[in-house]
Amino acid sequence: MDGYEARPAVNERRKHLEFLRKTAREAIWSGDYERALTLYDDGLGLARSWKDRDLEDLFTCNRATTLIEMDRQDFDLARLKEIVLRNPASFNGVLAAYVSANAHEARGEFSRARFYAQSALARSRDLGLEELTGSSLNLLAGLELHEGRFEVARDLFAEAVARFDAEGETLSRPAAVATDNLGYCHIALDDVDTGLPLVERSLALLHDLGARQAMDYPSLDLCFAHVKCARFDAAEERGLQALALGQEFGREDVIKNAHYLLAEAYSEMGREAEADVQYDALAGYYPDFPALKHYLRQVSLMGMINLRA
Amino acid sequence: MSSPSSPRKVHLVGSRIRELRKGRHLTQTELSEKIGVAQSDLSRMEQGEYKVGLDTLFKILQVFDLKMSEFFGETDRPVDPDSRELVADFENLSEEARREVRDFVRFKRQQQDEPAPAPAEIEELPPKETS
Repeated sequence: MDGYEARPAVNERRKHLEFLRKTAREAIWSGDYERALTLYDDGLGLARSWKDRDLEDLFTCNRATTLIEMDRQDFDLARLKEIVLRNPASFNGVLAAYVSANAHEARGEFSRARFYAQSALARSRDLGLEELTGSSLNLLAGLELHEGRFEVARDLFAEAVARFDAEGETLSRPAAVATDNLGYCHIALDDVDTGLPLVERSLALLHDLGARQAMDYPSLDLCFAHVKCARFDAAEERGLQALALGQEFGREDVIKNAHYLLAEAYSEMGREAEADVQYDALAGYYPDFPALKHYLRQVSLMGMINLRA
Repeated sequence: MSSPSSPRKVHLVGSRIRELRKGRHLTQTELSEKIGVAQSDLSRMEQGEYKVGLDTLFKILQVFDLKMSEFFGETDRPVDPDSRELVADFENLSEEARREVRDFVRFKRQQQDEPAPAPAEIEELPPKETS
């Protein structure tokens, strides 16, 4: 009898927490991390007070993901590992492995990140968790890309995109991010004709989904592609867009790369004064290297640059 | 589009990094420690198989701390745009093509070092005697 009466209450609680999660995810994609964090904190507190271990684990993972997105490390990584060990063959266990991989990547611990990403991939495949499989493939591919293994990364991104496609998730935000990454690999491998439409499609989708915080890299990638193809007016437009997004969301890597690519574009267009503004802004990040601007005016790094490293 | 007045830049490529490293008498291990990458990655970089982020690329430039003329493989003379373009084109050639270019440059320098008699000298020769 008690169990019968308790079940609807549990369902109501779960519905409420699921609503919190959904709202928090929307907040993350629109770039409102503080709101997302507050919602996850609320959910975590409720799950604990209700002694619902599954939901507590789930909110612990979601909260850590938000902090990683915010470039913060003030979460308990050991707690994530404990979830992995306690639930190796459950959704929460796979999610915890995936978040642990992200945490190690954010800390620059790439071999550990790869270990947990591979673990998340293997288990999500075993459990038929397609979205987590696609996300794990995207993460692994990103790690390969960081190490400059563009061909390997390209193939993994392609597999991730295929997974999202197979699940009918083509129009989802994770699919858009993986598609952009795949496009960037093609562009970096000098196959701009294949890569450019992929990145354009990704950017349009992210725009339609209201995922502004994820539009910085596609904008940067398009700028890179246009500089490579000597379409400097288009490069300028995309570069300025990437720069504005990088500044809005505090992404230093995006800002630096955007300054560099814009400077290259202006320099190639013969607009030296505007190129100098970009070089000066970039040089400001490297106060120990006073000759940097002098070098960059005469040396192009386009052939060696990795926008994901 | 590119302005004709804008100087062409030299592209930083792996083979140039190798030349600069050797010019500085640095081993791959020593340079990789200075720029903070694994020696195996530096090796791949020198072979053109590895692309890195701006931070690492700037460290490379900083470690070599070059005069620009040195970067372009010259001595102390300032580098004009034509020379820079020539260096960039040269770097894109195959090894065999580079050898041919070097041979041709040597030939042209020999020609330059052994000039034909100047017109003024010809005028100073005594007139031929007629019988």
